[in-house]
Amino acid sequence: MIELEHVVKTYQRDDGTPVPALRDITCRIGAGEFVTVRGSSGSGKSSLLNILGCLDTPTSGIYRLAGEDVSGYTDKERSAVRARRIGFVFQAFNLLPRTTAVENVEVPALYSGGEVDRNKALALLKRVGLAERSGHFVTEMSGGEQQRVAIARALMNDPPLLLADEPTGNLDSAVGDSIMELLTELNKEGLTIVLVTHDERVASFAARELLIRDGVLASDRAQPPRPAAVASGKEPAHVVG
Amino acid sequence: MSWVKTLRLALRTLVRNPLRSLFMMLGVAVGIASLIAMASVGEATRQETMRQFKRMVGTFDRVSIQPGSARTRGMPSLTSVEPTLRFEDADAIAAEIPNVRRVSREQSAFDIDVQARDRTATTSIWGISAEWMEIRGDDVSVGRGISPEDVETLARVAVIGEDLRKELFPDEDPIGKIIRIAEVPFTVQGVLVPRGAGPGGSSLDNLLLLPVSTASKRLFSRDYLTTITVQLEDPSRYEAAVADISALLRERHGIVPPVEDNFTVSNPRAAMEQVEEVDSTLSSVLIGIAVIATVIGGVVIMSLMLIAVSERRREIGVRRAVGATRNDVLRQFLVEAALISALGGVVGVLLGVAGATVAAFQQQLPPAFLWGAMGGAVLLATLVGLVFGLQPAWRAANVDPIQALRS
Repeated sequence: MIELEHVVKTYQRDDGTPVPALRDITCRIGAGEFVTVRGSSGSGKSSLLNILGCLDTPTSGIYRLAGEDVSGYTDKERSAVRARRIGFVFQAFNLLPRTTAVENVEVPALYSGGEVDRNKALALLKRVGLAERSGHFVTEMSGGEQQRVAIARALMNDPPLLLADEPTGNLDSAVGDSIMELLTELNKEGLTIVLVTHDERVASFAARELLIRDGVLASDRAQPPRPAAVASGKEPAHVVG
Repeated sequence: MSWVKTLRLALRTLVRNPLRSLFMMLGVAVGIASLIAMASVGEATRQETMRQFKRMVGTFDRVSIQPGSARTRGMPSLTSVEPTLRFEDADAIAAEIPNVRRVSREQSAFDIDVQARDRTATTSIWGISAEWMEIRGDDVSVGRGISPEDVETLARVAVIGEDLRKELFPDEDPIGKIIRIAEVPFTVQGVLVPRGAGPGGSSLDNLLLLPVSTASKRLFSRDYLTTITVQLEDPSRYEAAVADISALLRERHGIVPPVEDNFTVSNPRAAMEQVEEVDSTLSSVLIGIAVIATVIGGVVIMSLMLIAVSERRREIGVRRAVGATRNDVLRQFLVEAALISALGGVVGVLLGVAGATVAAFQQQLPPAFLWGAMGGAVLLATLVGLVFGLQPAWRAANVDPIQALRS
């Protein structure tokens, strides 16, 4: 699903000094995997997520998403990739205010070229356990409910990859766990998930953990996912370099 | 994203942010309202000016000939004109010029005292031929006008204007009463229908009409005319008529260019064109002001949108993350601006119509609406929205989604 080869990301300060964020990342994430990317703040995990999410391009190196080399894509091409292949879940939910749950879920369909399918959006809300609240404005909802709406939105265009950036960061641990369980279920249904967090506990829900430190991949290990139950059973990925 | 989806999305955004939408809309509406009000008031004034002008000069099928060169100013009076225009000139025009329907002969004199018993009034006196009233479109409210027989027989009869009637015969029927002009008695046989005020504001009803023959032989003892008025069969060919009349009079007066004509041929159409020109200058100034007001409305839209763009950075980030291109975002904001401006245009037209109606009512003019201008105003509003929405929309499109989504 994801192949990174010697990905480097360097930002320029205003005075022109280069600031390395990612030094040389090479890794591969298979379809159907549930991987967490863990690192402290400033480790480069956000830069990695931006590149994985096609919000940003690597300074050098190659990024293949579902076999497609997207490293050199233009802004417009990356927009199309995001619409078709990637679902985003954010720490702050990032739902549109003054907009109902179902309308939020529909947003990605506006940009995928097809018709907006209200029934599909309703089915997705049902899938995340919010069938009853589809017509509510998101501002009337609890944090956990908002994140569920955000997950439903991420699934609207049937992307093969879900990128989650600290999805439980704004939630208390019980609600956070329920969100993680929902993500685990979705992963079992075949969705590839890459989840960025600084929280070891959250990271423990996934079968594989990438640790980023100072812009390099410090470790890549498989782990028995929590809750104890099933490992994803998919082929474990491996680190190269 | 398709235009239909964009439009629907824009509509939803505008409805869900009623306060912002209201202010954006009002910004444009005020400009458009002033535009419509100005244009309507201008048009009402123009129509009224034309109406007055027409009332003063009658229908626009007339050519008037006066003695003296074109440089002579003011109303021709027996005491001020050269004695070059003759009764025979009028006869010749009637006989020889094609496209002539009627010819009237006139002798006018101003500031003449007239008496009726113990009352005295100062008025202008017009010796006229019978054609005069028909050419001017004048009529009598009581009695009768000057007839061909009156002219034929040098009758000592007079037709008076309403102002003169009020002054000389405030409480009695003037018909059959005697009016004295320089001790010559005339019998009042009619009162003219009032014309009201002319474009200059002075009354058109202070006058006294006599048969021109009587005026010439029994009152003024002058055998020249102050004006010949020619009514044309076909007003569209007035230029040819003017040329023919000029040529005929030059021949009769023995004038060979470059010697200057001792007469002036003019027509109300030219005068009307002048009035219209002045009038349209006024209109353009008013409309210019209103256009500036509309542009200010555009600036309001722009600043409110710029604020909205910074408030909606997160929304923009989300849309970009889920696949919106820059172009999608640009279009979304542009369509919102155009839509709200168009709506502002419609509201502005309604406000403007209301304002113009009130203004017309106060000025006691019939309201005049330029329906085409209203469509134009809505179009202008939309255009203003698009133009002034461009910069904010551009800014929205270039919001960096990574920055915008950072929590």
